[in-house]
Amino acid sequence: MTAWLFIAPAAIAYAAFVLVPLAMSFYYSFLRWDGIGEARFHGLTNYLTVLTDPKLLQIIGNAFQLVGYFTIIPVLLGLAVASVIRGHMAGPFGTATRTILFLPQVIPLVAAGIAWSWMFASTGVVNQGLRAIGMSDWARGWLGDFVWALPAVGIIGAWVLLGLCTMLLVTGITKIDPSLYEAARLDGARPWHEFRYITLPGLRQEIAVCVTLTVISALASFDIVYISTLGGPGITTTVPGLEIYRLAFAHRQVGLASALAIVLMVLVLISIAPIQWFAREKK
Amino acid sequence: MAGLTLRSVRKNYGEVPVIKGVDLDIAHGEFVVFVGPSGCGKSTLLRMIAGLEDISDGQIGIGDRVVNDVEPRDRGVAMVFQSYALYPHMSVYDNVGFGLKLAGTPRDIRDRKIREAAKVLQMEHLLDRRPAQLSGGQRQRVAIGRAIVRQPDVFLFDEPLSNLDAALRGDMRMELARLHRDLDATMIYVTHDQVEAMTLADKIVVLDAGIVQQVGSPLDLYNRPANLFVAGFIGAPKMNLVSARVAAVDDSGLTLASDALAAPVVLPGGIAAANGDGVTLGIRPHDLQVESNGPFRGQVQLVERLGNETIIRIALSDGVEITAALPGQGAFAIGSTIALGLRPEAAHIFDASGMRL
Repeated sequence: MTAWLFIAPAAIAYAAFVLVPLAMSFYYSFLRWDGIGEARFHGLTNYLTVLTDPKLLQIIGNAFQLVGYFTIIPVLLGLAVASVIRGHMAGPFGTATRTILFLPQVIPLVAAGIAWSWMFASTGVVNQGLRAIGMSDWARGWLGDFVWALPAVGIIGAWVLLGLCTMLLVTGITKIDPSLYEAARLDGARPWHEFRYITLPGLRQEIAVCVTLTVISALASFDIVYISTLGGPGITTTVPGLEIYRLAFAHRQVGLASALAIVLMVLVLISIAPIQWFAREKK
Repeated sequence: MAGLTLRSVRKNYGEVPVIKGVDLDIAHGEFVVFVGPSGCGKSTLLRMIAGLEDISDGQIGIGDRVVNDVEPRDRGVAMVFQSYALYPHMSVYDNVGFGLKLAGTPRDIRDRKIREAAKVLQMEHLLDRRPAQLSGGQRQRVAIGRAIVRQPDVFLFDEPLSNLDAALRGDMRMELARLHRDLDATMIYVTHDQVEAMTLADKIVVLDAGIVQQVGSPLDLYNRPANLFVAGFIGAPKMNLVSARVAAVDDSGLTLASDALAAPVVLPGGIAAANGDGVTLGIRPHDLQVESNGPFRGQVQLVERLGNETIIRIALSDGVEITAALPGQGAFAIGSTIALGLRPEAAHIFDASGMRL
């Protein structure tokens, strides 16, 4: 009984803010409801709509495309940076590097989104740069371009998440026993071998954390897209998070929004499960 | 297999010199131990030989080659680290075979060599395990196995037994000695444990503050320490050192007197000292014996009974403390007065600059 009392505060908070909303969303997903009036049981229709509507499928696909930018770029760049500055982490150089790389993480997302919107604008610094190096043909309003808007949003997300990933990986690499690298050098390892056989396995946990966080950031993204493109042009950058918001509060389709939210949650869980399996401690 | 030469080898970290000019010749097949207190530069010197530290000046040769600018992997050395440095995510089999794999050794030859090394080190049953599943002694064997399979010219050991308990350390010491005999390999071994140095080495290099203090066989160093540092460092318990002055020199020998001594000490001739010289008298605890009119008279401060011998610490009249290791289980009481004598031929005399006379 005493044990239950000890966990009660956390359990009540968790139930109130996680379990109950989750259960309610699940319940709403079977309703046809505008959020105010009378709700009617709608069966699996909302789920069928989510899984068959081309527009919603494209929106879900957009989120998975963002994974490529939000996850792959920060993790690969973070690994590269961590490997390069390994061994120089002590002293002012290490501190300065960590601070600079972590800066994007402390800048509010709204500010980052606005700043990047300016940079990607027709007269922004990106196009100025392209024109300066004679690539005027490439200059365009990136966030308004049907082909390039999603990659541009992806770049913003990658920039924001790069600091977090680099910090995690740089911190992780300092935990690897330096004598392993020395032993490998004596064993005949070249830099690539050191990375492949020591750094990568040694950072498995940190890589898994980075991938988990960035995959969730991509699939459940909202703020960056909302600030930079509002989901446009068309629905080329619309992601499930934004669509759930629109369906629930603009189109008053709370049931469909809830079904999309539940599907999104399942997709996140399915995406995360293999990462957790990969990261587990092998006995 | 090959020997090793060090010529005026120096190492500075910025302005701070840590190795101050080491000259050394190590013959093929020798077991050489670098010994010295913490911070004396012995591990740095070993790492310079391995190529893990750049050398600031001088020349290191392995076999016929100068290896100053040769990558560690190409020096023909294998190293066993204090921390074992086993790759945690690899099995023992993969750890031992990693160097061969990188060298592109065909799988069947690699397998044969790994299993041979495992057999030599009696760890065939451990090949599928990971380092985390091994005891300290087993990890040490794997680290040695990883060195063996590469068939290096020179084996380097950096305090390899310091993480093991006393009993296991003794066992591993014997195994290393056997391994050296079986492989007929050149081995350089760093330790601060003089028991390891004395029992394993063909040749001991005593280092202090980046300077070689003495090079010689274990018994050379024990019997004829070149200076006060070596005298105090080699031997357990430590050699007793008592300041004295030469009271008389004649044909029969040398007479030493000191406020610490209850009676003059008369030593055999052949020592280059003059009347009135200030010297240091060194006498090992095991060379003292109970003697009612002995020159070392004082109060017993501490008694350690080890069974086969009894270690006692006594304070002489001027406050200098000396240690005696007396055979058997004598009944010494703390606070009682005792007199000890010495065998004159066992005494060591050092001049005012600390060098052996």
